[in-house]
Parts: sequence; C-alpha cells; structure tokens
Amino acid sequence: MTQVAQEIPKIGLVMEAVKVVRWLKAVGDAVIAGEPLLEVESEKSIVEIEAAVTGRLTEILVQVDDEVTVGVQVAWIESAEAPTAALATLSGPTAKPRTTPEPAPPQVAATTGSAARDGERIRSSPVARKLAAERGVALGTLAGTGPGGRIQLEDVRRVVDTTPPAGETLSPMRRALARAMTLSNAAIPQFNVSQSVDWTEVQFLRRELMPTLPAGTPKISVNDFLLSAVARTLMEYPELNATFSGDPDSPHARIVPSKGAHVGLVIAVDNGLLVPVIHDVERLGLADVARRREECVERALKGRLKRDEMEGATISISNLGAQGPDRFTALINPPQSAILAVGRQRECVVARDGAAVIRPQSELTLTVDHRVADGRLAAQFLARLVALLEARDWHA
Amino acid sequence: MTEPTLSDWKAMYRALWRIRLFEGQVQRFAAAGEIPGFPHLSTGQEAVAVGVCTQLELEDVLFTSHRGHGHVLAKGADLEATFAEILGRATGLCGGRGGSMHLVDAVHGVLGATGVVAGNLSLAAGAAWAAQALGRRNISVVFFGDGATGAGAFHETLNLAALWHLPVLFVCENNGVAEFTTREEHSNVKFVSSFAAPYDIATKTIDGNDLPAVFAAAGEAIGTLRGGAGPYLLECMTFRMAGHYVGDSQQYRTKDELAAIREKCPIERLGRVLLARGVEQATLDALGESAKAEVLQAVERARAAPHPDPATVLDHVYRSPALAAIQG
Amino acid sequence: MQHTFIEILRRALDEELARDPAVHLLGEDVAAGGAFGVTKGLAQKHGATRVRNTPISEAAITGLATGAALCGLKPVLEIMFIDFATLAMDCLVNQTAKYRYMSGGQLAVPLVVRTQAGAAGGAAAQHSQSLESWFIHVPGLIVVAPSTPVEAYGLLKSAIRLGEPVLFIEHKRLYTMKEELPETAALPEIGRSRIARSGTDVTLIAYSAMVQTALEAAQSLEGEGISVEVIDLRTLLPLDMATIAASVSKTHRVLIAHEAVLNGGMGAEIAARIGEELFDELDAPVMRVGCPFSPIPFAPELERVLLPGAADLVRAAKRMCQ
Repeated sequence: MTQVAQEIPKIGLVMEAVKVVRWLKAVGDAVIAGEPLLEVESEKSIVEIEAAVTGRLTEILVQVDDEVTVGVQVAWIESAEAPTAALATLSGPTAKPRTTPEPAPPQVAATTGSAARDGERIRSSPVARKLAAERGVALGTLAGTGPGGRIQLEDVRRVVDTTPPAGETLSPMRRALARAMTLSNAAIPQFNVSQSVDWTEVQFLRRELMPTLPAGTPKISVNDFLLSAVARTLMEYPELNATFSGDPDSPHARIVPSKGAHVGLVIAVDNGLLVPVIHDVERLGLADVARRREECVERALKGRLKRDEMEGATISISNLGAQGPDRFTALINPPQSAILAVGRQRECVVARDGAAVIRPQSELTLTVDHRVADGRLAAQFLARLVALLEARDWHA
Repeated sequence: MTEPTLSDWKAMYRALWRIRLFEGQVQRFAAAGEIPGFPHLSTGQEAVAVGVCTQLELEDVLFTSHRGHGHVLAKGADLEATFAEILGRATGLCGGRGGSMHLVDAVHGVLGATGVVAGNLSLAAGAAWAAQALGRRNISVVFFGDGATGAGAFHETLNLAALWHLPVLFVCENNGVAEFTTREEHSNVKFVSSFAAPYDIATKTIDGNDLPAVFAAAGEAIGTLRGGAGPYLLECMTFRMAGHYVGDSQQYRTKDELAAIREKCPIERLGRVLLARGVEQATLDALGESAKAEVLQAVERARAAPHPDPATVLDHVYRSPALAAIQG
Repeated sequence: MQHTFIEILRRALDEELARDPAVHLLGEDVAAGGAFGVTKGLAQKHGATRVRNTPISEAAITGLATGAALCGLKPVLEIMFIDFATLAMDCLVNQTAKYRYMSGGQLAVPLVVRTQAGAAGGAAAQHSQSLESWFIHVPGLIVVAPSTPVEAYGLLKSAIRLGEPVLFIEHKRLYTMKEELPETAALPEIGRSRIARSGTDVTLIAYSAMVQTALEAAQSLEGEGISVEVIDLRTLLPLDMATIAASVSKTHRVLIAHEAVLNGGMGAEIAARIGEELFDELDAPVMRVGCPFSPIPFAPELERVLLPGAADLVRAAKRMCQ
C-alpha cells in the first residue's frame, strides 16, 4: 500500500489558478483511477479532476472555494499500486498530447514489485494475469471472485469487455469529440451541397477597408467575412437558423428556432478541436466580428473559453486554410443544424463574360441536418451566402 | 568339435593368453583411473570361457555375468570394440552405454551380461525357448558364479528349464568365493551340481582350470542339448587369480606363491600338457607374444577412440524417436 | 452384438496369434484359460506350443519372456495380478526395460506383459493395488491402461505390434463391461490420448476404470452447469502432453483422477508437467482425486469408503469452479 498524492493537473496550455467548487468523493470512499474526484472552476469552465490511482481517499487537503494551481496536492489516496506506476497515471484532462494520460500500464510487473515491496499480494491465477497483461488491465483494479479473493479469468474478462484494449486512453477533449462526432453521424441525417465562391470582392474589400479601421483593430480575415455572411444569410433563412430537438418518432420532437445568428468557428488546438461561438453576429460590423473572433480564438487556444462561449450556435464554419484540401465535407457539430466547410483558395480559370479569366476561388460545402432543412433550402442558403461574399455590400 | 588337433590346442592356448592379457590391461588401466566404474576380472578362469565357447557355433547365444570379459572374447567379440566399451568409448560394442558389466555383441551371439547376480539365467532359458519354439538348432549358454545359487531366480529357472526341456547350458564357475565371503557362508550345499538332481537336470562337476577337461565336458553337454535332452548344469571348479598378469611375476613372489600359482593356473597347466605333447617352449612363447601384441594394439586403438557424443544420450531408450519425444 | 471386455480381449489375442507366428502367450494358468478366462480356448485353437502354462515363478517367466523376445519371439506374458509384478521387478526394471539402451541399440525386447489392477470388493491389500506409477518411472518401458473393451482390443494389438516392452494394465472391474466391437475398429496409436467427452470448463484426466467414473461425474456436472472435458489417457508412458495442453488451453482448470493412492501417483507427474508447461493457462491449481494413503482393506464397506467415486469427482470439480 502506498499513499499517492492527488495533484491538480494542467488543464489547457496555461492555467493560473482554479477554484475548488465541489468534492465528489468523501474521505474513506473507494476511488477508481479515472473517476471524477472533485470539480474545479477554470476560466474556461468547470472541470472535473479525475482520480490518478485506484484506492481509498484517505485525506482531503483543500476545501471548497480554495484556489489551487497546477501541481498542488489536493488529496491523499491509499493505493495498492506501486508508486512509479501510480505516477505514470498521474495526469488529468489536458490539451497537450505530451501530457495525455498514459494507458493504464500492464500492472503485472508492478503488482509483483509492489508485492515484494509492500508485502501485500494480489492473488490471481496465471491465466488471469496473462489476459490482464495482454489487455493492459491493472490487477489492482479488479475484485477477485475466486477462493480467498483470488482474481480469476472471468474477473479479468468482465472488465476487459468494457475496457478498451491497450492503446491510448482518451483525453477528455478527444472523448468529447468522439462522442459528438459519433452522435452526429448516428443521429443527424446529413446531406451536403457545394458551391464555389469567388474571393475577388472580399480581397478587394480587405485592402480597402483596412486603412479605414481604427488603430488596434485586428486584421479582418476571410473567416470574418464568412462569419458575417453566414450570419446575414441565417437571418434571411430562419428555417435553417434552428436546431432539431428530440426523437422524430416522439410527439415531443421540435425544431427550436434561434433568436440571433450565433455562429461557431472551428479552431484546431493541439490534439483536438474547439468550436467557440460568437453570438449575435448579425449585429456586428466586420471590425467587431474581427475583434470578437480574435478574442475567442485566443481564449480557445489558452483553454479559457467560458461555457456559454461554446454553446448556442446553429451553424459552424470550418476553414482548413491554405494548407487544406480543395474541398471537404465536415460533420455537423451537435446540436447545430449545419456546418460550412471551406476549401483552400486557388487561382482558377473561370468564364466571365465569355472570356477565360483567373479568379481566386474556394469550394464551399454546406452540410445540413435533413430534419431541419431539405435540399432546396440548403441550396438557396448556400447560393445567397455566396452571393453576399461576392458582393460589395459590407459594413466595417 | 571332433577330437581337437594339436593346432586346435595351440589356438586354445593362445586364446587363454588373449583373455589373460586383456584382463591384465583392464587391471592396469583401471588402476590408472582410465576406466570408469568397477570392472570385474576373470583372471584365472580363462579355461572355462575358452573350453566352453570353442564348442559353440556362431548361432548359439551366450549370456554372462559381471565377470564376463573372458566369455565375451571367447565367443568371438572384437578385442578393440570390447576394450573400447569397457573404457566407455563411442566405438565400444554398446557405444559406451553398457560398460564392463553389460557387454552385448549381438552379431556374435553375446546377448547380454548382468550385474544382478542370477539376473539373466531366465533370459538364457528364454533364448533357448525361442530356439525351440522357432525350430532352430541353436542352444543357449549362461555363465554364472556359485553365489547365484542363493537367488530364487536360479531355482525358478532350473525348474522351468527342466520342465520345458529347454536347450540351455548352465555353466557355473565355482571359485569358492561369492562377493567377499566364502561358499560355506552362502550355502550348506558345497557343490552347485547338487542342485541339478531335484530338478531332474543332467550335471557334472569338473576341474575348471583344466582346459582339456572343460573342453570335453562342454562338448558332451552341448551334444546332449542339441539332441533335445533338455538343460545341463556344468559346474567348473576354479579360482580367482586377482592381480597376476604377464610381466608381474618377476617382482615379489615367494617361491611358494609362484609354485601354487603354477599348480592352478590354466595357462601354465595347458602349457605343460602341450610341452608333454612335443610342442616347443619357444612356440608357446611365440603364441603368448602374438596374443600380447594383438591385445596391446587393440587396447591402444581403443584408448585413442572418441568419447560418446553427449547429444546422443537419449538415443536408444526407445526405437522410435517419436516415443521419446512424446515423453518429453 | 455386445461382448464383455474379456471376450473382446480374447479376440484380440486370438487374431494376433493367427496373424503373427512369433506371438506366444505364457503365464500362470494361461493355457487353462487364465485366472479371469481371458485366454480360454486359445491353447486348444493355436496349439500347446503357442499358449503355455508356467509355474508360479514370476521372476523366471518374465526373464524367459524377455530372453525369448531377444531371440525372435513376440511373447505376451500374463502376470496375474499387478501386485505380483513385485516378483518380476528385477527382470522388468533391470533387464527388459534397459536392453535396447544398454546394448546401444543392438537388441530390442518386443514383449507385452498383460496384468490387471484395481479393487473389486474383498480382494484385500495384496490383490487390489494400482501400481502403475512405479512403471512410469522406468525409462524404456511403455505403460498402457485401456478404459473400455473396444479400447483394450485396439491398444493390445497396437502394443503387440509396437516392438517395445509394454506393460498392459487391465482393470478387474472392467472385465464384465460390455461393448460392441465395430467391424473395422481402428488401432489407437500408443502414446496418443483420446477425448472421451468434450467440454469447456474443466479438464478431467483419467485412465482405466476411472474413465467411466469420470464420464459419470461429467454427466452429473453438466446438469449443474459445469461443462467437463474428459481425457482418457490410454497410454501413461509416454504421456501425451499435446492433448492435455490443447484441453487445458481451453478450460484452464484441471482435475486428475485415478484409483491409485495420491501420494506419488500418476496424477502427481501430470500435475507437475502441467504446472511447468501450462502455467499461464491455469485459472486454478491442478487438483487430484485418488485413493487415500492406505492399503486396500478387506471389508467391502471399508474399501468403498476409500475408492474415489463419481461423487468425489463432482465435489472436486465444483470446488475448482468456485
């Protein structure tokens, strides 16, 4: 038996301090590695801190409303695992892959080691140990049903069926993404429509508008134009500015309209995505959109998004940028109803007034929830969006 | 064999020397530590081996005891291969697996030697039974010491051999000593031939150091066997002549000792018989030297032979390697 | 049509006598039919030279059979009770088993020693033993223990044709067992065990009469939701670890059952081998059921208490599956 310190892990890139909000376990409770132990509030949101090891919570070191920083010990857990093994699992939800929690290491050697060291033996049958080693199951996490509490094959099999095989366990972000995308694929009947957009006007406006903006205004990016155009189009096509709620078979199923144009922007972070939402974009001029966009992205990259900054959108924009593909189809981010995938800008040969000219273009692919809108609406929306982007009707 | 010629006697004389000298070499190299285990010497008992075996055919089969080098050689086994086996070399009769006490030379009908006293009397009877059952002409011979009469197997086998009329010749070399005690302490029965009558077996007791006597008695016995008369027990009174071999006699013997040896030694006695029949001493010496040369050469070759390959240690436990493999 | 073990065994001997003139039967009362009637009529049919009575001389007749085997016969020697094998031990152990090896491969002993073992109610301590584990300890011997009449038929023929010294151990209580002999009964390979019953939860290893007991226990355990795989060893030496390994890799639990006393019994050897070679497959320690460490008493109720029965196997299997 070893006493293992439960520390506050790094949440996001930089984390100054978090506040203890709620203990989810009490002293004396059994805890299992990965189980939520306490809640802390960060700039981003309320975050659950997971137990680093399996064992028994023996001491709580910080109270509700205490402020703690990364590395602070908040509790002691009495664990049957060897200290080194425990430390290996000591990392919580994070955005950086380097600190992604390691897979539960094959505990066989560690267990034997701890037996030699601690005098506490885990009784297990050879074939149970073999399967546990193969599948990376920590014997210490199992309850043995054999004689004298011996861990037997079926005890390992029971866990193995619900435990993922040896490999990387998921960070909370990856798990959230996986859940969301699985839900999206399973629950939302998605179709897509595509159209090219000519960036000539947008490029012109960017050059023209910049000098007129107040100092300190961030550079207006293509995404700002997209955000703005999407917002305006949403207001013109309110049927798409809604979300589907409930089971189609159920009498409680509804389409919930949104009151403003709240648009998400897909941001790539280390080992994942975040989709901050800018609310009421239809009320913002381009400069304000740019400002809001910049703030959002900065906070997102720092892992400091507030919860309401991640909710409320009916549509998101995913722009993979200059390194992206010509075109792609994005999956809708539930509970939104649509997502716009923006392919990379290319110089294309197009026909204009009977002549072949070269224009900067991208492929836009709009994925739509078919429960909310059908093809005609989607096509119209997209056409209008493109028209707006190709026009000069903009306000800074 | 019909009445032997002088030439036959001279050959038998040389054969006696051959065994005497061979045993001398065994003793020499055992003392030098080159021979593993504990070889038993038949020095002094050569006449029994030569006298009986000269009367045997190649097809006749022979069993012997732990003191069997002489019998094995007299039956025709190769000198070098026999010495190599005693040394435990790969070129030995049994590839080094048997050793001094378990010499087997199937090609010459030497079917085995046992270190368990009286252990193979019944095997010899069995070999005789096989000959009888298969309608073959060959007989079976087994050599054993007087100590064997203490074993139940001796009596069981005599009984069975007689009952089944088996063509087996039981040859007892009664040297008056069994292991380290004299016969008087082993049995009230002085002569082993006394055991024959109760089982209704033909028998004779002779002077085992008198080669012509052994030769004659063996011939007679074998004749009855081949005639289907059933088993025969031939008791040969002899002595154990430990420690005496050519080249040793000049060292420390007293006159009395030398005289006593000369009186008993079968080589000395046959020599006297041959001299009396007109054979020259020089001829006798030459026969001795010839045997000596043969023995020494064979021994040197055997000593130079390769040792067995340890990788083969599990060979021949069973015929089929598959059986051995399953057993793991 | 069904025949008893004795009748089927007699048929095997009869056929081998007819097939190979080198085959000869010998033993006490063998020409008269044998103590259990196995050789009845064979002397009359094949001749007095092929089937012979011997005096009560286990040592001599074993040597006789061995010597004959060295010289071209294929003797099938009957030792009436395995308890009397004690009298034949010098020959069996020091000569018969070792001839091929000591002679460096020059000679072989194609000999079958038929004997019988086991308790059958009132035979008492000197006529009821199961001594097979003495013989698996002797390199050079083959030890076979058939479990049914049809098995015995094939195994005896295989033994006679094998060309090695085989101890063929029958069981008193099986002599009256009846079975139908198929017209084209295959000859089982010496050294290969058989799966008498397939299962998934426990491997139950048995031989000789215990196989029937094991099958009975397996049937009972099936009703309680425990699926037992019964292995009939057939050959005790050499041991077929391949069949055992395949079964243990499936069930992960092993129970070994024999009538012989537990201490130093066949089960001890098998358990040690399984521990060595199949350790990572085990979900529970290897268990053995055998006779307690006592001579077999005369009174039937005392004997009954000692001998392992189906209930003992069931109890042991259930304990293993806890």
